[in-house]
Amino acid sequence: MTGRDLFVISTGNLLRMKLRTFLTTSGVLIAIAAFVAMLSFAAGNQKYVEEEYLRFGLFTTIQVSPRGGSEGADSSRGPRLDRAALDRLAAIPGVNLVYPYEAFTVRVKLGDTVLASKAQALPATALRTRFFATLTSGRPFGSDSSRQILVSDELMKKAGRPDSVLGLRAVVSVRVSTPDSGLAHVLMNRGESIIDRLRRIRTDSLGNRGYRSRTIRSEIHAAMQRFMEGFLQAQETLTDTLTVCGVYHVNRSGRLRTEEMVIPLVTAARFNNAGMSGSPSEMMASLSSGSPFGESRDASGKTFSLVTISFDPGVLSTTIRDSVEALGFRAFSFAAQFEQIQRFFLAFDMAIGVIGLIALVTASLGIVNTMVMSITERRKEIGVLRALGANDLDIRALFIVESGAIGLLGTSLGIFCGWALTRIVSMVARGYMKGQGLPEIELFALPVWLILIALGIGIGVSVLAGIYPAGRAARVDPVEALRNE
Amino acid sequence: MTPACYLQTTDLCRHYERGHRVVKALDNVTISIARGEFVGIVGSSGSGKTTLLNLLAGLDTPTSGVVDLDGVPLSSMSRRQLAAYRAAKVGMVFQSFNLIAHYTALQNVETAFYFTGTQPVERRRLAAEMLERLGLADRATHRPSDLSGGEQQRVAVARAIVKKPELLFADEPTGNLDLENAGQIASLLTMLHGEGLTIIMVTHNLELAGQRTQRIIRMQYGRLDRGDHSDARADARPDAREGAIP
Ligand SMILES: Nc1ncnc2c1ncn2[C@@H]1O[C@H](COP(=O)(O)OP(=O)(O)O)[C@@H](O)[C@H]1O
Ligand SMILES: [Mg+2]
Repeated sequence: MTGRDLFVISTGNLLRMKLRTFLTTSGVLIAIAAFVAMLSFAAGNQKYVEEEYLRFGLFTTIQVSPRGGSEGADSSRGPRLDRAALDRLAAIPGVNLVYPYEAFTVRVKLGDTVLASKAQALPATALRTRFFATLTSGRPFGSDSSRQILVSDELMKKAGRPDSVLGLRAVVSVRVSTPDSGLAHVLMNRGESIIDRLRRIRTDSLGNRGYRSRTIRSEIHAAMQRFMEGFLQAQETLTDTLTVCGVYHVNRSGRLRTEEMVIPLVTAARFNNAGMSGSPSEMMASLSSGSPFGESRDASGKTFSLVTISFDPGVLSTTIRDSVEALGFRAFSFAAQFEQIQRFFLAFDMAIGVIGLIALVTASLGIVNTMVMSITERRKEIGVLRALGANDLDIRALFIVESGAIGLLGTSLGIFCGWALTRIVSMVARGYMKGQGLPEIELFALPVWLILIALGIGIGVSVLAGIYPAGRAARVDPVEALRNE
Repeated sequence: MTPACYLQTTDLCRHYERGHRVVKALDNVTISIARGEFVGIVGSSGSGKTTLLNLLAGLDTPTSGVVDLDGVPLSSMSRRQLAAYRAAKVGMVFQSFNLIAHYTALQNVETAFYFTGTQPVERRRLAAEMLERLGLADRATHRPSDLSGGEQQRVAVARAIVKKPELLFADEPTGNLDLENAGQIASLLTMLHGEGLTIIMVTHNLELAGQRTQRIIRMQYGRLDRGDHSDARADARPDAREGAIP
């Protein structure tokens, strides 16, 4: 019996028993469709993550932060992450680029709209890394001291100018408080000079110990209060007019966070180093770090909470990470994170695989039942084939090919239906994302390996389901089967 | 064992145990059939004729005794070898036709080639030719349920002989047919015998057996009925073969 004969016979049987074939196939179809749809979801997300990592060049990116810093459970405080540390990081073999994360609150006037926003300072070289190289329009600024600015698509939307922003003027202003403005308030407050205040003190009573200490305490208290008031209110405003040279897509996810504006490093230094920012939260942060003024004024003494390293693709991320850690810093490797994500997806895939397999085993019981019933009906046929010279293997093959054909049919249709299902869900999800103003993400992927695994498992389980009926068919006694009733 | 002896049984027994009773479907049957012989087996219903044919075809296994094919005991063959023996050498016609209901006449005849390694195109050609030879050319695409009893039996005969076997086991091939159809089948068998086919035909029809066969084996209660003179009768009719060709 040739493979072709087996195929013709079994498809003939399946076509003849349409309802039964439909019901048996449906079981396999549903199991495979669910299996494919679920794994397609996992694969889609996996693909999305991998593409994002590739898009941002994260496999060659490491983020450095000081040890014992804000997130530090480490008791030991590591070295300062300052300019000198940046040079040491840049000297690690394989490192292409080192740049700190520096953000500050600004007011920006775009066209006629004034917005409060946050800006980030970056060297021009950082824009050449893939991390920032995804401009939706325009081009990166030419140098660190260009009088240009990159803005996010979101900011443009807020400004009511979703398009045609290139070449637009952006008036950026930063309000900074300096110790000078504070001191000025100590000397002069609400039209009252410190001389007037001092005049009110009764000098003759200063001999009284109680009065003396009360007066000193209240005056010091008042001076402090006036200093803080001045510091908070009498801020200087630094203004700069820059030209929008490009638009990028803002990223808000965790460590990849980018702000709404990117200003060239040297151009931004003016705002950045002028003094403490006017934002209370930033102020509190720099106060708690113990260096409210001195360090931020002096460029060389400034410290950073986060520094990004971009390195040669030929160098292992673990090598770079080890070097960074050897310098006493905390290193976060995206490559290592990706490995963890991969491991998670593997576990997820396997869990779904097990569920799919259980569904498929249930469906395969349907196949076993169908095939066993088919033996009873086809006893005479088996007997005839025996008389014509069929051996055990021929009879077995007949039933295994038939259950395999059910499997092939069910699996193929199942893959198609699973795919169709993901298309529908994807369309609905995209519609929802669009409605919510979210970026449209493709949630599903149907890679070749998934199709092959589905086919392998679907047909494999069906063939296994055919083994028992095939064995029974081979044991049918031809003499009994051919006896005339 | 003479060289002419093709198929031989020695003390062949086939017993069925039914509870504490033993049904002796076949009991100590010793026969020998020469190559090219046309042998008739007669006997009342239940006398073991079908059982004997099944044992000769290797479809059934004897309780004791031996079936030799060209000097080789069938019991020495594996199941696979027995299947190959049937595929290559044996054609079988059953009393109840045993056609596959959902196949057309042509497909039914073609099934004979499933296990002979014949090319599909060749199969189809040979099957169609055989149907034509049996006058069923216009019935090729009909299913068994659309054929008369005589036509069905002719399809069954076509299936048995299309692969040109050496041996034909025909179990009451005319049992369910009217006189005219029975005569047609009998003529067909006689013609095939003329072409060199060894035929063992079970029949109720003594007249048919007497006219067409060279030798008659009588059976009763699973044993050979020795009270006859079949060998002598076969000798007395040396012209049986020639005379039978239509
Ligand atoms: N499987 C079986 N179990 C019990 N008895 C059987 C079985 N098969 C056949 N027999 C008996 O064996 C005897 C011979 O049967 P069979 O060869 O079919 O007779 P025939 O073909 O001559 O009519 C009968 O009595 C029948 O009842
Ligand atoms: Mg019988």
